[in-house]
Amino acid sequence: MTRLDGATVEVVRNYLGSSAEQMRRTLVRSAFNPVIYDVLDFGISIYDSDQRLMAEAAGITHFLGANDRALVEGSAYVGIDNMKPGDVYILNYPYWSGAHAYDAMLFAPVYAQGRARPAAYLAVRAHWMDLGAKDPGYVLDSTELHQEGLIFPGTKIVAGGEIVRDITELIRFNSRLPDLTLGDFHAQLAALRVGERNLHQMWDKFGIDVVEAAVSQVIEHGERVARAAVAALPDGEWTAIDYLDDDNITDDLIEMRCKVTIAGDQMVADFTGSAAAVPGPVNLPIGATEGIVKSSFKAFTTPNEAANHGHFIPLTVIAEPGSIFHAQYPTSTFTQWSAIVAVELIHKALAQGLSTMPASSGGDEPGFMAVGFDPRVGRDYVVSNNEGIGWGATPTHDGGNAQQHCSQTTVRNTPIEVLEHKAPLLHRRVELITDSAGAGRHRGGVGVLREVTYTHPGEVLSMKKKTKTRPWALDGGLEPEPSEMVLWPGTPQAKRVGMYRAWMEQGASFINRTAGGGGHGNPLDRDPAAVVEDVLDGYVSPAAARDVYGVEVGTDGSWQPTPARSLRSREP
Amino acid sequence: MSATGTASLKVAVDIGGTFVDAIAYSPQTGEIKVHKVPTTPEAPEKGVMASVLGVVDDLSQVESLAHGTTLGLNAILQRNGADVGIITTKGFADILEIARAAIGFDHMYDFQYAKPAPLVPRRHRLGVPERLDYRGNELEPLDQAALIEAGHYLVDTCGLKSLAVCFLHSYANPAHERAAARLLRAEFPGVEVSISSELTREYREYERTSTVALDAYIRPILNNYLAALEGELALAGFTKPLHIMRSGGGAMTAELAKQAPMTTVLSGPAGGVVGATFLARELDLPAVLSFDVGGTSVDACVIVNGQPSEVHEAEIDGLPLLVPIFDIRTIGAGGGSIAWMDGDIMKVGPRSAGAIPGPVAYGKGGTEPTVTDAAFALGYLDPAGFLDGRMAVDAAAARAAIASQVGAHLGFGETEAARAVLDILVARTVGALREITIERGLDPREFTLLAFGGAGPLIGPLVARELGLAATLVPRAPAAFSAFGMLMSDLEYEFAATALRPLTDDDLATLEPVFAELQEQAAAILEAQHVAPGQRRFTRTLDLRYQGQEHTLSVEIEPGASAQAAFGKFEDLHRTRHGHAMDSPGQILSVRLHAVGLQPKPGLPKLPGPPAAGPVPAQTRPAYDMATQDWTGFAIVNRDDLLPGHRLAGPAIIEEGTSTTVIYSDQSLAVDGYGHLLITPKDPT
Repeated sequence: MTRLDGATVEVVRNYLGSSAEQMRRTLVRSAFNPVIYDVLDFGISIYDSDQRLMAEAAGITHFLGANDRALVEGSAYVGIDNMKPGDVYILNYPYWSGAHAYDAMLFAPVYAQGRARPAAYLAVRAHWMDLGAKDPGYVLDSTELHQEGLIFPGTKIVAGGEIVRDITELIRFNSRLPDLTLGDFHAQLAALRVGERNLHQMWDKFGIDVVEAAVSQVIEHGERVARAAVAALPDGEWTAIDYLDDDNITDDLIEMRCKVTIAGDQMVADFTGSAAAVPGPVNLPIGATEGIVKSSFKAFTTPNEAANHGHFIPLTVIAEPGSIFHAQYPTSTFTQWSAIVAVELIHKALAQGLSTMPASSGGDEPGFMAVGFDPRVGRDYVVSNNEGIGWGATPTHDGGNAQQHCSQTTVRNTPIEVLEHKAPLLHRRVELITDSAGAGRHRGGVGVLREVTYTHPGEVLSMKKKTKTRPWALDGGLEPEPSEMVLWPGTPQAKRVGMYRAWMEQGASFINRTAGGGGHGNPLDRDPAAVVEDVLDGYVSPAAARDVYGVEVGTDGSWQPTPARSLRSREP
Repeated sequence: MSATGTASLKVAVDIGGTFVDAIAYSPQTGEIKVHKVPTTPEAPEKGVMASVLGVVDDLSQVESLAHGTTLGLNAILQRNGADVGIITTKGFADILEIARAAIGFDHMYDFQYAKPAPLVPRRHRLGVPERLDYRGNELEPLDQAALIEAGHYLVDTCGLKSLAVCFLHSYANPAHERAAARLLRAEFPGVEVSISSELTREYREYERTSTVALDAYIRPILNNYLAALEGELALAGFTKPLHIMRSGGGAMTAELAKQAPMTTVLSGPAGGVVGATFLARELDLPAVLSFDVGGTSVDACVIVNGQPSEVHEAEIDGLPLLVPIFDIRTIGAGGGSIAWMDGDIMKVGPRSAGAIPGPVAYGKGGTEPTVTDAAFALGYLDPAGFLDGRMAVDAAAARAAIASQVGAHLGFGETEAARAVLDILVARTVGALREITIERGLDPREFTLLAFGGAGPLIGPLVARELGLAATLVPRAPAAFSAFGMLMSDLEYEFAATALRPLTDDDLATLEPVFAELQEQAAAILEAQHVAPGQRRFTRTLDLRYQGQEHTLSVEIEPGASAQAAFGKFEDLHRTRHGHAMDSPGQILSVRLHAVGLQPKPGLPKLPGPPAAGPVPAQTRPAYDMATQDWTGFAIVNRDDLLPGHRLAGPAIIEEGTSTTVIYSDQSLAVDGYGHLLITPKDPT
């Protein structure tokens, strides 16, 4: 293959990146459900003829590269030689798609003139609102795949450019929300069409041989940059253990274990020793496990570059088949909060070797959903909110207050005014929580409290999987309280829950409380001026300033060290 | 240079971070004068006055003066606005800091992200008891005593002079906010009070809180500045009202701007879009890409059928504000962008050499090659005649930097390397232009590129070749075109209200009083700006979506229009934009009223043509031809010598003061009756 100059390569790379971006804009602007356009629960990828990732448009952070395995598995099922121009296939079989059954991936071969086999592939994955699983909204307690919705293993849904009505009707009759679901299908299709048009324009302009040569060089470059970044890290082998609350069927903690090895310019993440797959739906298909490791890996190798296949060549992911990190048929996989918690498991392992790592950022994504019938408009509703948490302190600065978990940094919360429009809910307060951060020389960020009352009966789904064990701290910092939801607060029925589904009568309330971030360093070493500022802003109470930080703060902002701080300052 | 003394001049002055540009235009003769002076940050009105007096001797002769200022924007970017206190619904004082909790795509993989401090610290945010429901019904009355107590704490104890108020669901019913404003203004006469419902009536509490907080943040600065400027202008004999540019196009009187400073904050790039829209309408161009290339960025906006693309929400440095603005896509690549090697792949931008140290060629300390250096290396810019010879240029140093810092790594000579710099700049730009046209369901090839800004005429014809556009248009005085746009502004005013309901005839009927109230409000505002009733135009718009969708499309409706008519327009637009229509009912999210006070605005005058369509006087200079990929002789033409009716076959370089137009051997140029350069592909022969 001809070797191109680095300028032509950059020109082609820009065209490809813009193509993925055009697909993303098309999807976001025409999608029907807020989980796509607000939560950005999608993944868009462009692959070459060897199914190597050429370009990607960002959705949720930890979905990075998650279509990669899905395309390989899906096209193996279909048989590449059975594909035809204008075909589109649908795949949501979790063990192949690397996602739960409501994430429908559409993929399409793209053919160039004079070539029998596809010259490229496009994939657009998006979260659908309903495909007929056992419960409306979200499934928290399935124990096998066949309670999780209608399954497509790579089914032809567009044949030679024509939508296969038999399949879309099958979806219509299997979905509780057929308009939304098919609307999103159309949005994905529109994105695929834009991508296909771009590929043809690019091949016409440069010639397909030049494009392929450029892509190979982009991938080589990506590999080189990633290897250099890994080589710059210290070699070593570090194991971290953390716990998922339970599987929603029993109350038992689930052990997650990850050994990270850096040797020269390669990294291995090995989940061997983690719990065996559990009955409840927190098991991860291997594709999802690979996705979370890829996003962590990217964060400290190539955070500012558009992803391509080369970036992940130095990375190996190992998980035993049959474990919670490598689910096998018919294991349940619907509620993949385990993936969110596991992102920080990798950080926890790396923190033993890399001094720049932050402490735990709250543990997981602690949101909620509400579902029910809204008598104000005579319709069912489903709303959700992803809540900010406190991020972990680093060796150089405090963790941020109220930010989305690091597994989904681009996601936004849902405005109170939108929630109250779409569902019969009334918010009592939404506030930052004093003293919720893990204390330290640098403290974690603080978490968020939200109190909501149901003005008509409905259900609440508390979405969080790290409420029984605390987020971890580093270097003598303190661990914050974990996230929680309290149902019916202030009543005799008050109940603290993690992931949970509850019926709420009219007038019933819940309080959702999200964790702060872990602290870094001994709190007695914190700059007293920073403690005073925290007290003035109410992030830290005067009592905690005195008892934990050793700083007695006066009402006028003056301060004095406590004996504990004075003692600490005399330590060598 | 003697300034123009003709009566009834239109003058505009555009103040930026580095320079103030003034333009004077005589509608009678079409004569244009421009003048540029450095910005005077310590007293911005001084620089403004200096630039205005550079284009006009006698301010009493000026018929209208339009002013675009980035003062508010800079205060936000540099975080040197007023200390603000915020009063919210009790229990919700942290909304500004919790925000939407997202980190954003720029930092999406950065798990060590250091969140910037909130604009208003927590100690200056207080809640008071009051509550409305989602329809605006009162659940709990405003606790007036608590409000006054909060005010005393913020004003007396904390020493704050600017307060912002945002209550939940105030978009649906502003009564509590209005009561709060009344009480606070009465209790604290020297303190500025901003309330969210005076700025926007759209739902989403964080975005509204941010909008009103930013308003309070810049209000003292902007008001002091406008008062000082009005004083200076009056002293110099100016008697007409001063007009301030709005972010979403159009202008308002300075008096009105003081009441809603937020609406001025993104007026900088708006001038160019207003000018491009004016030309699109005057020249009857159905599809125009406004293409403004400066030192560090390209700003592009889609204008279809004389309507520029607009959005209803902007963001400054991560802070949202609910004001209508033009939908401008900014690409971090301009004349000063640096070319560099990322391993064996070459990149251009986003880092810029800026004014200091600047491109290598300018010899002000720049050592890294820029787009401008590439233009020197390819012969497009004349080292001897740069800025009419007022600036010494070292083209050899530019060539050497390109050859050694990128060429050597690419295996390229200096010509190929310089060409590659432009190739990459063009690829980045073309991708962005495709994104903004394709996301609207439009074909970029149907557009005319309107190229302006210092480097627009240099890059524009190249981008047009790449996109396969039918034409590129270079206006007169392209470097001052943003200020020209301000000359052509009407007085405008827009107000929106969230009005969530199904799209039915009955529901439309319930909106009639809403529109009527908005129109009455708008009429009063135009009245206060001395717009005669015959010069007022009102447009009603509905933001519509399919039930269940979040994003809306805006359709104009006539008073009394049926739901079916509105829905039909929406479905047509949905097909264009998204390629399909849906089998779902329509829903109204919000209503918008756009009011225009037409200003006297003569059409573009035709300019006299060449004596006998004689040849254009030209010299020849070697430069690199992108079409044949070789060096060849380019005709070098002074723009002043190009008169209406002149035609020119490429390759050619057209030089004028601060900008240069380059066309290649597969392009030709014609001068239209107004003096614009129209560049088209040569007919294949």
